[in-house]
Amino acid sequence: MRDNVPCEFPAGYDDTAILERLAQVLDPELDESILDLGFVRSVQLRPGHASVVVQLPTSWCAVNFAYMMADDVRRALLTVEGVRQVTVSLGDHCAAAEIEAAVNDGRPFAEAFPGEGAGSLAALRLTFQRKGFLGRQERLLRELREAGCSPAVICALRLGEVSVRDDTIVIRQPGCAPVEGGSAEVLQRYLERRAELALDCSPAAALIVDLQGEQVSAELLLAHYEAARTVRVAMEANGSFCRALLSLQRLDAAGPSGNTNTGGRDVPS
Amino acid sequence: MYHHDGHDLFVIDGHMHFWDANPENWKNKYGESWIKCFYAYHSSLSPADAVWPFDKFCRYGEEALVDDLFRIGYVDMSILNSTYLYEFYKNGFNSHAQNNVVKAKYPDRFLLCGSFDPREEESGLDAFRRMVAEYPVSGLKLYTAEWRNGSRGWRLNDPWTYKYLTLAQELGIKNIHVHKGPTVYPLSADAFDVHDVDYAATDFPELNFIVEHVGLPRLDDFCWIAAQESNVYAGLSVAMAFVHLRPRYFGEIMANLLFWLGPDKLLFGSDYAIWSPKWLIEKFMAFELPEDLKQEYHVDLTFKTKRKILGENTARLYGIDIAAQKAKLSQDGISVGH
Repeated sequence: MRDNVPCEFPAGYDDTAILERLAQVLDPELDESILDLGFVRSVQLRPGHASVVVQLPTSWCAVNFAYMMADDVRRALLTVEGVRQVTVSLGDHCAAAEIEAAVNDGRPFAEAFPGEGAGSLAALRLTFQRKGFLGRQERLLRELREAGCSPAVICALRLGEVSVRDDTIVIRQPGCAPVEGGSAEVLQRYLERRAELALDCSPAAALIVDLQGEQVSAELLLAHYEAARTVRVAMEANGSFCRALLSLQRLDAAGPSGNTNTGGRDVPS
Repeated sequence: MYHHDGHDLFVIDGHMHFWDANPENWKNKYGESWIKCFYAYHSSLSPADAVWPFDKFCRYGEEALVDDLFRIGYVDMSILNSTYLYEFYKNGFNSHAQNNVVKAKYPDRFLLCGSFDPREEESGLDAFRRMVAEYPVSGLKLYTAEWRNGSRGWRLNDPWTYKYLTLAQELGIKNIHVHKGPTVYPLSADAFDVHDVDYAATDFPELNFIVEHVGLPRLDDFCWIAAQESNVYAGLSVAMAFVHLRPRYFGEIMANLLFWLGPDKLLFGSDYAIWSPKWLIEKFMAFELPEDLKQEYHVDLTFKTKRKILGENTARLYGIDIAAQKAKLSQDGISVGH
């Protein structure tokens, strides 16, 4: 998806850093990169000034999440060398003007939307980071199970016993031959989120812990997995709905103007 | 009625609308963007041959509704949802008074849901009593995300909501449909949050709470609540629409619902006119849960379960005797083709 984003950079400019930083901006609800989701419609760089158009799947997408993504884009691009100013546009979003004015000015959500509830965006973000943790852990558990690890083995694993070689997870336990299997990316995504949540990441810590950082016992692993699985399915189903809505917008943008009378069509999910 | 291998399946569409979103009825830009958002749901998940032109989608009228549900859509009965949106639409989007026009004409075909807004506080209680007295209201549809005088929504466990629920119960209402799902203008808190259902369901054990759209996008939180509360049910509209374009996710959603809630608490709904029951039901009946999901979740979507989902479960909640109702309906204007 990221290859399809129209970019306009000064001649000879190396766009790697900009696209890498953008790729790290996540839709907090879906726990996926906004670049992979196709939300980034265009990127333009004039000397010192980056402009990004973010198009969300509908104009009614939640305002608080829309603000978070726009703000994250701005913060991410301000870390790119040579970028001093960032302008984010939100297309036809129902609160585009208010969000753009606040984000591009560096003003917090509560100031831009006074009276829209006292809860902080940080608490909301944390809720979804925790869901994302469970979703990422569920995928890891699936990989480990498919690599032939029993619940007892999985629950006994320490972080220091798990590493990656090329694209594969490698498990080395004392007195056992190394076991290889499972996607290294799945492991890395899990470990990244675990660190973001400030859970113990030392080599002696258990690989599979709950949201409080407590080791999950082999007896409880199945119940833990079943709950995490539902979290993962919910996030993926939502992402799939967003992609379907967005694919329609893309066709509208590409095709002749007028009503969208083309019907559901398959898009990669 | 859906016929399958010599069996008749009685179908109740648990969630549909008779709305007026004609441009003349738009009060402001929100009226326009609201129906355009619905239209995006409609166009992006419907099969190509089931997509309507936008102007028909804004106001399809009674004849199309009766055809799409009862004549070609296999539906025997359906539940009219009321969604007012007076801040977006001059005459309201889909009020109980508008809905009652078709209910009055085909009384045995429809169950009418009224509503209340707890932000009307004391003054709304009388209006609510009058609505229940004057209209054949058999359930309620609550829309917690509705705008009102600067407020962007309310919760099921607000004190005034409890007064209305108490009154509803006194007036003999049993089934409360709660819209939880794609919503309008969330606060900085999570406006999709379903936890308020948990409080209300615990405190009103005699009422049934049907969570529309299975809490999507908060399916996980919904499942934990519904698994614990015996009076919380899953309204399947929106989730149903995945069956065509995203069958894998449809299977995963159904496997999760069957796993946490079992086959007796899932209720079919089309969300008509966003999606039409004809294709939803045909594709649902043809759908089989993938083998790997059956094995992993130890559940199945059997013919018996499909029959429960399409009609039997909702009939039980509303006290409908299917055999007696079939006999009644066979005599009405729709069946005899007037």
